[in-house]
Amino acid sequence: PFSAIYSPTMAMRQTPLTCSGHTRPVVDLAFSGITPYGYFLISACKDGKPMLRQGDTGDWIGTFLGHKGAVWGATLNTDATKAATAAADFTAKVWDAVSGDEVLTLAHKHIVKTVSFTQDSNCLLTGGNDKLLRIYDLSNPEAAPQEIAGHSSAIKKALWCNDDKQILSAAEDKTIRLWDRSSMEEVKTLTFDTSVSSMEYMADGEILVITYGKTIAFYNALSLDLIKTVEAPAPINSASLHPEKDFFVAGGDDFKLYKFDYSTKEELESYKGHFGPVHCVRFSPDGELYASGSEDGTLRLWQTAVGKTYGLWKCVLPGNTPNLLLVTGPAIHSKNTGYIQFFKRLESYC
Amino acid sequence: MATPVSVLRLPKGPDSNSRGFDPKSPRFIALCRTSIFTSAASEVDSVELQREQQARSVLRETFLRCLLSMTNKKVQFHMYEKVKVEATFGASDIDVLNFQVSDLHTPIGVQKEALIRSQDVISFTFDV
Repeated sequence: PFSAIYSPTMAMRQTPLTCSGHTRPVVDLAFSGITPYGYFLISACKDGKPMLRQGDTGDWIGTFLGHKGAVWGATLNTDATKAATAAADFTAKVWDAVSGDEVLTLAHKHIVKTVSFTQDSNCLLTGGNDKLLRIYDLSNPEAAPQEIAGHSSAIKKALWCNDDKQILSAAEDKTIRLWDRSSMEEVKTLTFDTSVSSMEYMADGEILVITYGKTIAFYNALSLDLIKTVEAPAPINSASLHPEKDFFVAGGDDFKLYKFDYSTKEELESYKGHFGPVHCVRFSPDGELYASGSEDGTLRLWQTAVGKTYGLWKCVLPGNTPNLLLVTGPAIHSKNTGYIQFFKRLESYC
Repeated sequence: MATPVSVLRLPKGPDSNSRGFDPKSPRFIALCRTSIFTSAASEVDSVELQREQQARSVLRETFLRCLLSMTNKKVQFHMYEKVKVEATFGASDIDVLNFQVSDLHTPIGVQKEALIRSQDVISFTFDV
């Protein structure tokens, strides 16, 4: 009896939410895990003032004040109680992410570019222009850090992987190296023809997302075997894989955000909005939105499912388009069942 | 013909007056440990805690009154690297991150108006 179609996504246009406050390019951003108070987002900015925001709304919570130079890297621990930042003032800092207070300053010999907590938040990995990886024991910060040498130029990104037993680092020397934490030795190296622009690690599934040129590449994080590569229309600076691994998003020099289907590699959506190159893009831990940071000094939040009620976005049924129903599923024996099915779908959507 | 997704409001931006981290937020109240740990054992002893809170209030009030009484007075700041400077105190910002001073006497001259970063200050003295 029912043979009609309702598809909110076709009728809706993406409304990105712009988070202002930074006065210079946003170069890095990171989400926390999901905590009893929601999830959080930290942004690293060349203005030296990293900011903490509520992850699902983009509402500003606080600014970490103390760095005396551009902040190149920022991260949060899983429960968002601690933050760490890497800066051009030759220090990495650890912060109390609830009070905003600076907890530790870790002096380095050159610009620090990247910071990463272990899952238990007890150790901090840093890397930067002095080409060394350092591991700090946060319960004993006075002690000298363990140092891993090997890269022949500045380290851009370093992160823990394989349950914090190994370390992945990407440097200007066009290599990505996998290190064993206990032996501190190099296990494997990937060499590229060009500089790697970003690296993201997904623990669930041990997937490494790497970008270089116009390519987004997916590797197995344990073996460093290539899974697949996807080409984008423009040079890409950062990419992020959805927690359920059905989509990935990427952004780069053409100021746009792209959303691709991970299995088919098909480009699904693209969005203009930023007024400068996109430097970083990350999916939220629940996959409902992704955040982008740009040369234009803003962060923008984008919906994964455009039109869905979530955070500050509200599903409003369009008044002018014909409202038709799609009723799917097992055979419907009565009209009433059909309506119930429809309302259940609509409920879950709104 | 696509309709833009409706938005309840825009994300809240930074507060120009403070660095944020609202101490009245539920997360802060639940999670924030005080920077000086209570002398009692980790198990909260309410009598001990009361006394400590009292002491903290007194100290805080004294400090704030001290800042008030310093206004327009000559203050000597003892800072790191054996720096001792004198200036006329103006005000402190709300998070006590910076002190606004006038006529800052430094080894290289007198600065008419200046901001002193409070984390660089070890101690300051003035005549009441």
